[in-house]
Amino acid sequence: MSEQIREQVSAFLDGELPNTETELLLKRLTRDGELRESFGRYAVIGEALRGAGSPILTGGFASRVNLAIDGEPAQVPGHAHQAHAARWWRPLAGVTVAAGVATVAIVALQQRAISPGPRAAPALTSQNAPVPPSIVAAQNASLQGGGGAREALSYTVPARSANVPPALSSGRLTNYVLAHSKYSSGLGQRSVLADLLIEDDEPQPAPLQGVVQPSLTPDVRVAP
Amino acid sequence: MTRSRQSRAIWLVPCALVGALLATLPQARGADDPREWLEKMNKALATRNYDGTFFHLSEGRLETMRIVHRVRAGRVTERLQSLDGSGREFVRANDELTCYLPDQHTVLVEQRQDRGPFLGSLPQFDASVSDFYRIEALPAAHILGRPARVIAVNPKDQFRFGYRLWLDEKTAMPLKTQLCDSRGQVIEQIFFARLEMPENIPDADLAPTVRTEGMRWVRQGPSPDSASAALGAYRASQLPPGFRLTVQGAQTLGGASSPASHLVYSDGLATVSVFVEEQSATAPGSAASPDARPEAPVQGLARVGSGYAFSTIVQGHQVTAVGEVPAQTVEFIAHSVKIYSSGEPPRH
Repeated sequence: MSEQIREQVSAFLDGELPNTETELLLKRLTRDGELRESFGRYAVIGEALRGAGSPILTGGFASRVNLAIDGEPAQVPGHAHQAHAARWWRPLAGVTVAAGVATVAIVALQQRAISPGPRAAPALTSQNAPVPPSIVAAQNASLQGGGGAREALSYTVPARSANVPPALSSGRLTNYVLAHSKYSSGLGQRSVLADLLIEDDEPQPAPLQGVVQPSLTPDVRVAP
Repeated sequence: MTRSRQSRAIWLVPCALVGALLATLPQARGADDPREWLEKMNKALATRNYDGTFFHLSEGRLETMRIVHRVRAGRVTERLQSLDGSGREFVRANDELTCYLPDQHTVLVEQRQDRGPFLGSLPQFDASVSDFYRIEALPAAHILGRPARVIAVNPKDQFRFGYRLWLDEKTAMPLKTQLCDSRGQVIEQIFFARLEMPENIPDADLAPTVRTEGMRWVRQGPSPDSASAALGAYRASQLPPGFRLTVQGAQTLGGASSPASHLVYSDGLATVSVFVEEQSATAPGSAASPDARPEAPVQGLARVGSGYAFSTIVQGHQVTAVGEVPAQTVEFIAHSVKIYSSGEPPRH
């Protein structure tokens, strides 16, 4: 990113970039994938420097940012590793907005998701069951959703197996997300919507059109 | 840019959602009440004409998208388009949603009930929601060179996410939105680079730009929900504070031979679904379709959009919790699911 662009991005993020220049910046960003990537990283750094909290990042990038800022390796928020590990989920999660719509797309996406590659990182394990959670003093905690019990409850997330999982039926998990999306509420809907529009940045394993299997989509009918 | 021309006519045609919102408005709130501003935002998103370009920033990755939303004579039409990635577009005309997926050479059409605007909304903040979220007004700021109200919806514990919203002082449109965890750390954000609110939006701006020649059109029929009565009685025996059962039923998941029990728990803002399936549900000998295959047990955690999914095995059943909530919330709920034998009614 050139210094000029950097200044423009900085001004934009501060809400101080003139409208005409914002339009130009926008056009450049929509054309230039590399610049877009730089912008994304720069925006993250900007937010961190503004004290707005540390967005969840993939570990490698977070380390670089933290080293750049204060020379310390990143203390990525707790679920950053999971975010990285489960990135293959994203295109699946994105489908949720089209609950029920995207059955054909799901089949295609699950083919993408289960293909070997960096996206098929350990997300779920099918062996070595996690130790049951220790739920301390949780008795009567909001069993009926009543308020006021929150102080009494603590929870320890069980240790997780570090074993590499076998191939998984990601389509099955996709279906859970799809079914859930009918009931997801608030602005959460918007984020899955945005996810659906996002293209993968990793190579596609195969022409997706060819892997659509109508036999796996009993609830879909092709329009005449 | 940001030519915020007012469209008075739009205010005359509020949709049913807004009507309901207005009917429940508390009477004695000041104009600076942050809850008042959230309601203004909901109303603006649902009833105004707007055409904007926004950035979606998540995991250090930036995407550019365009949203066009028009309300004309009670008809809502909107289009959401990826400007730099997949080329995908969604067009919603009243209750029909069309998804153009050029990268998959597919167009999907679904009839759906009114789900509110693409950009979403926040529910009413009644007393029960206030038990678990703290709503506050932060110091005003400028976005796009415009004065903005800044509202924070902070979760009071670690079991749910919160939001920070920068609402345009004049229109209440959310110029910037952040999804945050209980420590205030940003998980995902969306901010507008351009936003116009014209009186009229031509049809051409709502038409998809995707060329559909040669693409496959798929229409989705009614919801595949199944009302099988043969389901066991499943419940979460313990829940994070504030969550309560709001929906229960059965869902036949794609490729499965028998329905899964589906429970929905909500705290009024966040929602978690729990699916329970007998592990033998797809075993040979059942009424499985030829495509249904036995599934290996799945256990563990996965990121799904801005939330998580967690699967585990409980008494020979596959239990999966999914929601736009922190990881520990889906883990908590999934681990607490109990299978009640016949004749033993669930406690709730």
